[in-house]
Amino acid sequence: MRRWLARLHTLNPRWLYLATAILLIIPLVILIPMPRGSASRATRGLYDAVEAVPADGIVMIDSSWDQGSRSENAAQLECVVRHLCQRRIRFVVTSLGTVFSPEFAQKTIEPIAAQAGYVYGRDWVNAGYVQSASGLAPVISALALDFHTIRQADVRGTPIGDLPLMKEVRTIRDVRLVYVVTYAPSPEWISFITGQFGTPVAFGCMSMMAPNYYTYIDSKQLCGMLIGNRGAAEYEALIRHPALGTRLSMAASFGNAAIILAAIVGNLGMWAARRAGRRGA
Amino acid sequence: MTDPLAVWVGAIVTLGVFSYLARDNPFYRLIQQAAMGVVVGIQIVVTWKQVLQPMWLSPIQGALAGTRDWTGALWLLALVPGSLWYFQLSKKWFWVSTLVSGLFVGVAAGLAFKFRILLILPQIGASLKPLNPFAGPNGFTWEGFLDSSNNLLFLAALLTTLLYFFFSVKTENRWVRTPMRWGRLMIMVALGAMFGNTVMTRMSYLIERMQFLYEMWLRPLFPG
Repeated sequence: MRRWLARLHTLNPRWLYLATAILLIIPLVILIPMPRGSASRATRGLYDAVEAVPADGIVMIDSSWDQGSRSENAAQLECVVRHLCQRRIRFVVTSLGTVFSPEFAQKTIEPIAAQAGYVYGRDWVNAGYVQSASGLAPVISALALDFHTIRQADVRGTPIGDLPLMKEVRTIRDVRLVYVVTYAPSPEWISFITGQFGTPVAFGCMSMMAPNYYTYIDSKQLCGMLIGNRGAAEYEALIRHPALGTRLSMAASFGNAAIILAAIVGNLGMWAARRAGRRGA
Repeated sequence: MTDPLAVWVGAIVTLGVFSYLARDNPFYRLIQQAAMGVVVGIQIVVTWKQVLQPMWLSPIQGALAGTRDWTGALWLLALVPGSLWYFQLSKKWFWVSTLVSGLFVGVAAGLAFKFRILLILPQIGASLKPLNPFAGPNGFTWEGFLDSSNNLLFLAALLTTLLYFFFSVKTENRWVRTPMRWGRLMIMVALGAMFGNTVMTRMSYLIERMQFLYEMWLRPLFPG
């Protein structure tokens, strides 16, 4: 047994990659019911913030992600849009991230909005890409003061002023909540939206960026945050609509279990190899 | 409905990127270069179509043709500071570019002050947390006790971490060294949390690609 464990030390890592890939596919092929944990304070905060938006209120979503962070941001956008549709709350989408972001947002939101009977232009608008190469601070400041000067046409080229919903959205004071979903949301949103105007801001970010933002949850500068697919899965449980986030977080649970197992076995292998080396000496 | 050709291209590119796990190969490098080229190309087209054309060129054209407000022609003035940047290419005329770069630095500095103050000041206030478990409206409660303990841990972590970065005192003293060690431990815990989350993110990348390969590419190939 010890000799077998010691041989793990010389195992080609490619076998580990293959084993991980196979293990991750299993929960995608077979739906395995797994126990759900309770929603974290950060997730619950965003849910409560959406619940607090009045029926005639408008929410602004900055969907600034593309293929690079689709693995977590897609589920985070989906679940919040679904919640807004459940509550019949209207929303405006912008993309301050990359040029690809408006298309990814459109593809994610369109089926959910259509299913909920939302009419484009009246109930929701995709305002498109907002150039922010010179820095987010001036763009967010300008966006907060006059939306129509920053985007004069939506993603389809329709003049912003011609869209019924946009006639009600001029400044950030016309918006009840801002939800920023991207790889690493910029803290400028906190300063220039919550800090200056008092409009609540929530983030949806990649898991690895979450430790940077916990402090803003604690200080109540952020009203809520979805952390990776786990956050999306928690949110889906709150709105009672398990979807992409739940499925992906199940697969992630398998992956995490594989990593823990590999770490234990790897350490046992190292221990066995050291012992064998000592005996050999 | 996703275009089957797009799915096949996506699958081949994904497998090409994964092929790097076996060894570095020309196919992988081709995909890497192509991805860079595609991103730059699309960036130029979208910036022109969604930003420069509707927000800069169209108002000018409309004003000159008389179909839009004359103020649209004022956008021509943007060419003046914009062209000043190109003087950076000349050693003799470099100073001209400093007119516009100075303006940018000034604006950025002003906004940075505002940004930092609005971001950091509430953090200082939020660091002052109640430590007395008896101070709640219902006197001593189990939840209040847990909150106070959590706040005490937070305060200990905050002060010892700050002490760790305080380089003005000698660290031989046991009364300073012990809290500093505690501060270092807190930093390590925070970094550990970051590392754990990083692993989760990397895992998510892989899962998303696995999901794409299985659901969009393989499953339609073998229906039923």
